[in-house]
Amino acid sequence: MDAISLENVTKAYEEVTAVDHVSLQVREGAVLGLLGPNGAGKTSTIRMIMNILVPDEGSIRVFGQPVSDATREAIGYLPEERGLYPRMKVLNVIVFLGALRGLPEDEAEKRAREWLDRLELHDWADKKVQELSKGMQQKVQFICAVLHKPKLMILDEPFSGLDPVNAATLESTMLELRSQGSTIVLSTHRMDQVEKMCDSICLINKGHNVLDGDLRSIKQSYGKNTVRIEFDGPDTFLTHAALESVKRFASGAEAKLKAGGDPQEILKGALAAGARIYRFELLEPSLNEIFIEKTAHA
Amino acid sequence: MHKIWLIIKREYLTAVKNKGFVIGTVMVPLIGIIITLMIGFFARHQSDKALRIAIVDNAGEIGETTARGLGALDSNGKPMFAIEQLIEKPASPDDVQRTLRAKVNSGALDAYLVIPSDLDQSFELHSRNTGNFAIQATLGTALNQLLMATRLRALGVKADDIAQISRVARLQVIKVSESGESVERGQTIGVGIGLVILLYMSLLMYGVLTMRSVLEEKTTRTMEVLVSSVRPFELLAGKILGVAGVAFTQFFIWIASLGLLLTYGAVMGAAMGGLSLPSAHIPLSMVIWTAFFFFGGYFLYSSVFAAIGSACSSEQDAAQLQWLGMGPLIFTMCVYWVVLTNASSTSSIVLSEIPFFAPVLMPLRISIQTPPVWQMVLSVALLFGTILGAIWASGKVYRVGVLMYGKRPTVPEMVRWLRYS
Repeated sequence: MDAISLENVTKAYEEVTAVDHVSLQVREGAVLGLLGPNGAGKTSTIRMIMNILVPDEGSIRVFGQPVSDATREAIGYLPEERGLYPRMKVLNVIVFLGALRGLPEDEAEKRAREWLDRLELHDWADKKVQELSKGMQQKVQFICAVLHKPKLMILDEPFSGLDPVNAATLESTMLELRSQGSTIVLSTHRMDQVEKMCDSICLINKGHNVLDGDLRSIKQSYGKNTVRIEFDGPDTFLTHAALESVKRFASGAEAKLKAGGDPQEILKGALAAGARIYRFELLEPSLNEIFIEKTAHA
Repeated sequence: MHKIWLIIKREYLTAVKNKGFVIGTVMVPLIGIIITLMIGFFARHQSDKALRIAIVDNAGEIGETTARGLGALDSNGKPMFAIEQLIEKPASPDDVQRTLRAKVNSGALDAYLVIPSDLDQSFELHSRNTGNFAIQATLGTALNQLLMATRLRALGVKADDIAQISRVARLQVIKVSESGESVERGQTIGVGIGLVILLYMSLLMYGVLTMRSVLEEKTTRTMEVLVSSVRPFELLAGKILGVAGVAFTQFFIWIASLGLLLTYGAVMGAAMGGLSLPSAHIPLSMVIWTAFFFFGGYFLYSSVFAAIGSACSSEQDAAQLQWLGMGPLIFTMCVYWVVLTNASSTSSIVLSEIPFFAPVLMPLRISIQTPPVWQMVLSVALLFGTILGAIWASGKVYRVGVLMYGKRPTVPEMVRWLRYS
């Protein structure tokens, strides 16, 4: 059974169609990266899954059920626009939001304390939210999203504003939740995070689903069409006719081959030009490349 | 229901634990009492400085008597007029008036009185301030008496008899109500004004409190987290009921302390030998009706203010849009004297039936003179009907507004939101 299933979902506002006939399946237990440029329709899609917005057309099912207040309860949600009552105490906020999700208050408090310990916030339990740093508030918000042990989590930009240490903590926590069987939808702009954590992706642009599926097979479908070279010396060989585009770095370059282009020709050209080669590698395109290609040409 | 209860609880505890609640609980009645006392003080002491006056007697007959008569008038033991100058039969009346006019303009004199050469013609009072009705009324009465005395004397009536003839009737006002009679010494007006101020300030305060509470959830973006757990309507209902709980607590504190204060006053008065305060008799039925109208008004205005808060994204936006809610309240403050001066006039009846004004004006009418029951019932029915409509509309605006950021919507846009499913 799919954790989330969207069939031809459309949502239009007064001037724009934010989501245009989008279909999408999220396998139970998978980590899906929901990608797209700003204003692509990601937040509208998420809000419809959360039953905050109602689609104009199409149907949405969560664990086989049409969306309702009940399916919403089963989802842990970390919204993009984050916010907590600034003048409430950290523990009280978590317990209040946990209780709204249907937890008894004493159970909510017990779990809140466990999580505060785990994310090293236990000293801040009785402080007001406004006294916390942005990164700490972020972690509190994350606790609020996972407190009721949801089988499905929708996390909108969970790493924004976090330093590398806290980002790593959150990352390992998410992988742990995944290993316990949770399904995670991760909306983010950070492609490195997606490559590390996601099994599958869905790329939305201008309200359309332009690319979705298993991350491995998507990358494989592009084939090994990228050459990475590290070298010293002249770089005139980079103008070779078999190359479609070139990105020049300090220590070398990354170049995309034209269809049917032979990487051997490039290597020959480099040697002939007198460059000293340290590394020559044939790669699949990075997700970043795919993202830019898909959204720029749309 | 459980979720609404959680929201009520949070809203209530946050507000009651706030310093603002303590300040509001003490300050509102204090300000109410101070304003009422000040109105009373200024009404009573508006003429505590004697009016410096000159008298020009063109007839040359009663100038002397007038000066003596006016000089003897007093209010609360203080003379009302100071006669600065008496000019009898001036050779050039125009020159004299010109000089006096200059004095009035320079502030050396407050007014001058011109007695006509023919006493059947008009007397003239020349003054920069022509709005002091109390002085004008006193002066009119005094001049009447002087003129009458002069004419009686001309007919040969003896001075003692004149004094007896011209003694004025005294009028004492006694308020009749279901609970008996009590001598009116201004307490009806005092209670009325106090009630108006209390209701006006409370409705405004709780309305704005509801608005700010909604706005806080929007500006801090807590709203997005909340609407992923509860339906907007539950959020709205919980918020309004939570703030209603705060209002109820505050009223309970006020009424309890008023009761304590009156009991204390009565005990102290008895202990000091039968001294009784000019007790404003407040029947229980009036308290109950007032509570009814207050809570009706609260639900009406707080749903309007909640909708305003939900439509705005910042304090600045809200400051502009909150006039929608404040307008009708301010209007009641402008027209309450219509009801105060004649509680059973047609205007008073109509005003007190209009739902947006009824929460302030109907309790005021009740405090002055109990209106017919059907009028009170009709007013309550209209009020609660309007509340249902306001909550429905507010719920619609709220649902759309809470997730809408950016440009402040115009009123027509908000009306369009009502049609969204």
